[in-house]
Amino acid sequence: MSKEEEYKEIFLAEALENYEELNRLLTQLEKSPGDKKTINAIFRITHTLKGNAAGMGFKNVSDFSHILEDLFGEAREGKLVLEDSIFTTLFKALDTLGKLINAIKDNKAVKFRGIKTKMEVLLRTTKNEALAKSSGEEKSVEDNVSPANDTSVEEDSIFDPLDEEPENDNSKISFSDLVQVPVRKLDNLLNLVEELVIERDRIIASNSGVVKTNEYTRLNRISSDLQYSVMDVRLVQVGFLFNKFHRVVRDAANLEKKKVGLVLKGTETEIDRNILQIISDSLIHLIRNSVGHGIEKPEIRKKNNKKEEGVITLSARSESDAVIIEIIDDGAGIDIDAARKKAIKQGLISPDDANQLSDNEMVQIIFEPGFSTMNQVTAISGRGVGMDVVKKALDSIGGNISVDTKKGIGTTFSLRLPSSMAVKGTLLFELDSETFAIPLSYTKAVVSLYKPDIHKVANGLVSTYLGNIISIVFLKDILDLTVYRPNSLHKSFNEVHPEKKLDIVIVSYNNRTIGLVVDKLLQQKEIVEKPLMRPFDKVKLISGVTIMGNGHVCLVLNVAEISNLIFSRNFSTKNALSI
Amino acid sequence: MLDQEKHEAKTVETEQLVASQQLIVFRQGDEEYGIHIDQIKEVVLTPNITKMPQTRSFVKGVANIRGNIIGIVDLEEKFGLKEATTTAEANEANNYTLVIESEDYKVGILVTEVPNTLTIKSSNIEQSVNVIHDNNLNSDYIKGLVKLDNRLIILIDIFKVLDEPELETLAALEDAKSQ
Repeated sequence: MSKEEEYKEIFLAEALENYEELNRLLTQLEKSPGDKKTINAIFRITHTLKGNAAGMGFKNVSDFSHILEDLFGEAREGKLVLEDSIFTTLFKALDTLGKLINAIKDNKAVKFRGIKTKMEVLLRTTKNEALAKSSGEEKSVEDNVSPANDTSVEEDSIFDPLDEEPENDNSKISFSDLVQVPVRKLDNLLNLVEELVIERDRIIASNSGVVKTNEYTRLNRISSDLQYSVMDVRLVQVGFLFNKFHRVVRDAANLEKKKVGLVLKGTETEIDRNILQIISDSLIHLIRNSVGHGIEKPEIRKKNNKKEEGVITLSARSESDAVIIEIIDDGAGIDIDAARKKAIKQGLISPDDANQLSDNEMVQIIFEPGFSTMNQVTAISGRGVGMDVVKKALDSIGGNISVDTKKGIGTTFSLRLPSSMAVKGTLLFELDSETFAIPLSYTKAVVSLYKPDIHKVANGLVSTYLGNIISIVFLKDILDLTVYRPNSLHKSFNEVHPEKKLDIVIVSYNNRTIGLVVDKLLQQKEIVEKPLMRPFDKVKLISGVTIMGNGHVCLVLNVAEISNLIFSRNFSTKNALSI
Repeated sequence: MLDQEKHEAKTVETEQLVASQQLIVFRQGDEEYGIHIDQIKEVVLTPNITKMPQTRSFVKGVANIRGNIIGIVDLEEKFGLKEATTTAEANEANNYTLVIESEDYKVGILVTEVPNTLTIKSSNIEQSVNVIHDNNLNSDYIKGLVKLDNRLIILIDIFKVLDEPELETLAALEDAKSQ
């Protein structure tokens, strides 16, 4: 099915649901016409329906809901008194709306001009009565004559009496082609598929010598297809989330007295629903941040020869197994010198360090907890919480965030997210005769070094990789760490034989590159990661586990936390034990 | 041994049906420990245990039990009934694992012998227990002592055991601070 078809199907399902809900609410309203809550609910639904239909290009449905929305808008403000006679019209209008929605599917002709005009007249009279104002701004009926692309609507005379409309198919109940499934059920389904895949790998591994490998080709294919189908069901378009941000931008801009427009790109990009949910707060924060910190006030923009209205672009695109979401503003850019001063003042970094860091390294400081460049605390930004929370949210799903800023031109936040939670590409290695996995998203390279290549510097170890100095850590030292003592990280290094070849996995997180010394590199493998449950949920260095073909548990390293542990300044007083 | 216990359990059961409780009794060191049968999920042969970093020594690691990832603990080590062992050593000593289930999570206890069930009268449980213990720790996890003929069974709440802070850790922390 083409993308367009799929959207149409989703729209229809939602629209029909809206229609059913409107029917229910209107019936309720008829019984108690003064109920503001019901009127509000109807107003909201018609508004949503109008927006969705307009977005899909179904002009008839959109226009029709627009009028309904206007009518209930008036009713909401008490200008339109809902009498019995009006309800007759409203119900008839609702039936017509239902037919218009169905017409998108079956291309049936629907006569709707008459009832539409009647409502428009009703609306005009109400407005005239209430405001004694001409209805010049009203959309003239003639504007709406062009039929929508997917519906062939027979045009009948504007003054057709309503009674002529055939009522024959009123009794037909329409069924949507979509079913709604709670995410909980999908999660369960995915869990089962994951277990199936693990079990498949186990059986194949245990029979590897006995049976020909192609014996399992079909099993492999079917279970893989099943896995990907289930994952596919969980995918949603980022547009569902992105569209909500128009309001976020508007509210934030109003509050800050700025003019900001939002441009959406790549809204059809698909991503796992749970990932979208996890990052939704982060995106809201980043967007508010762009409005608050990024876009300048109109007068300043004018002075700098920019358009008064700032633009925030929210774009999404797929890149192999990742989804990249970018928040781009054309604002002032991050003031790196101010950030540097602030960081020193807040004691996040020493003045010496601060002056040594390049601008690009310095700007990453905004992700440190407790950092904010805004001197004034405003309602939407400058509270000093947020960026580090954004970072944590991304770490939790194995994504990452980077920032690129140019003074006077703007700032781009770039989020790299896994498109699916289920399968992770990892590199397997052995340490202390146990197998570990490290996500490929953090892995840069694997190299071999000998003891003389590595040097002790202060309490740590360093070496060079591609001309850059990188930290070297014997992973064993970190995992065995219970309480930090000086030179803890030299322990394995001191014991190692000078001629032993050391396998090193080079990982990168937050612009920090670390070489992790492991015992033996194994292969690359796609794994299904399960989160750690109590009582291990406080174990930081491990992000989750997976079950190997032999039934053993394999730990998945949390590179973000390992990096934080190594570079954390409070290292020495922290107790490394979690439970 | 097993038969004798079963026999005992049966006689007790018939005598006191009303206020009776069923326990799972397992040996740790030379002592017998008891856990309420409601908390026990199953007894399995101990699967391969994977060591988990950042955990205390008596936490032996995690294992895959019927697709569930379950933490495995060595209570003998926790209660100071034996010297600390490594996960590798725990893997070699091929014994049983008692899987305990709470609302929140599951945990496995390493046992050397298959545990037995035992029905006791509620009146056999001595609730207020005076045990000598370190003031810094609370021994909330001891729910009571069961006196039965010549036997003494220590009734424990395994989940409180896991919540208790470890003495050696505290000492080590002090050590690190003073450096």
